[in-house]
Amino acid sequence: MAASVRHLLKPWTPSLCFARWSRYNPYYLDPDPSKDAPDSELSPEQKELQELKTVRPIKAALSSDTSSTFNDPLISKFINMMMQDGNKILARGIMTQTLETIKRKQVEIYHRSPAAKRLEIECNPYTIFQKALENCKPIIGLASVQKGGKSYQVPVPLTDNRRRFLAMKWLITECRDNKHRRTHMYEKLSQELLAAFANEGNVVKRKHDLHKMAEANRAYAHYRWW
Amino acid sequence: MSGSVIQEKVAKLLSRQNGKPVLRPIKPLALKNEVASRKLKKGEATCVTEMSLLMACWKQNDFNNTVCSKEVSVFYTCVEKAQNKAKGKQGTQGRLLPKEANTLLKRFPSLSSEI
Repeated sequence: MAASVRHLLKPWTPSLCFARWSRYNPYYLDPDPSKDAPDSELSPEQKELQELKTVRPIKAALSSDTSSTFNDPLISKFINMMMQDGNKILARGIMTQTLETIKRKQVEIYHRSPAAKRLEIECNPYTIFQKALENCKPIIGLASVQKGGKSYQVPVPLTDNRRRFLAMKWLITECRDNKHRRTHMYEKLSQELLAAFANEGNVVKRKHDLHKMAEANRAYAHYRWW
Repeated sequence: MSGSVIQEKVAKLLSRQNGKPVLRPIKPLALKNEVASRKLKKGEATCVTEMSLLMACWKQNDFNNTVCSKEVSVFYTCVEKAQNKAKGKQGTQGRLLPKEANTLLKRFPSLSSEI
């Protein structure tokens, strides 16, 4: 009975098209700005998704989504998080300067090192950014759970989005608060990213502290109910 | 057709003609256009064994994630499976969820008065 009645619950789609809201009906699909065909053969579920895209309504694309090869969703998310008061131009400028600084530093190290060590040095700033972010992401988080009048810090698995958000947030706050006042943001960011790439620095230390707290509180893991 | 039969029976139960009425209702004897929400069944902590293995590995190797990469990947697979299970389990077992039932009843309510 429920299965036959559930088809009446199809989501309402408006007859007029508005500009992009921040809250869409979950029926709407995300826009895909890539122009090229996908590289590898699609799996059956991905083929299904492609079929859906011809039928379902699609959200309006953001003005920051481009079909160019330089459009990286991770970098875009980081730029948005760095942005203050809506000054996207400044945030994007800082990001490009950061990537340039990283490249310059790595190329200098590359040219100064002997031929044997040159293969190990990573010069691509995008891979450095991704690897550094991966090294900053925590694996387990802590959630406050109230039980018997007292609240305990319970170790809890985190979703991918939450982990990515925490890594980016820690990077930005670390660079804003704990560095010398007179250095530029791109300089501070490049230092922190290169340190995180090598698994050193304050952000990785903060991640390790969180892991240690979770490990200390592992007895409370059963207080979770999800 | 059977609605009038029920109304007659209810009228008989409420009437004072044959002594005291059988029913003395406080609220009106009609179905509401909403369903009470069900109590969320309290589950249990998922992936605790994987988490404890991961923490044991961390303790041995000084929180080095490259050394413990196998435990980490096992933990992630467990978490993903738990999430998928939690998502899929909600709407099945043949009954409508209270939220879905309320949406439907709002759109197709039972009439309380004649139009």
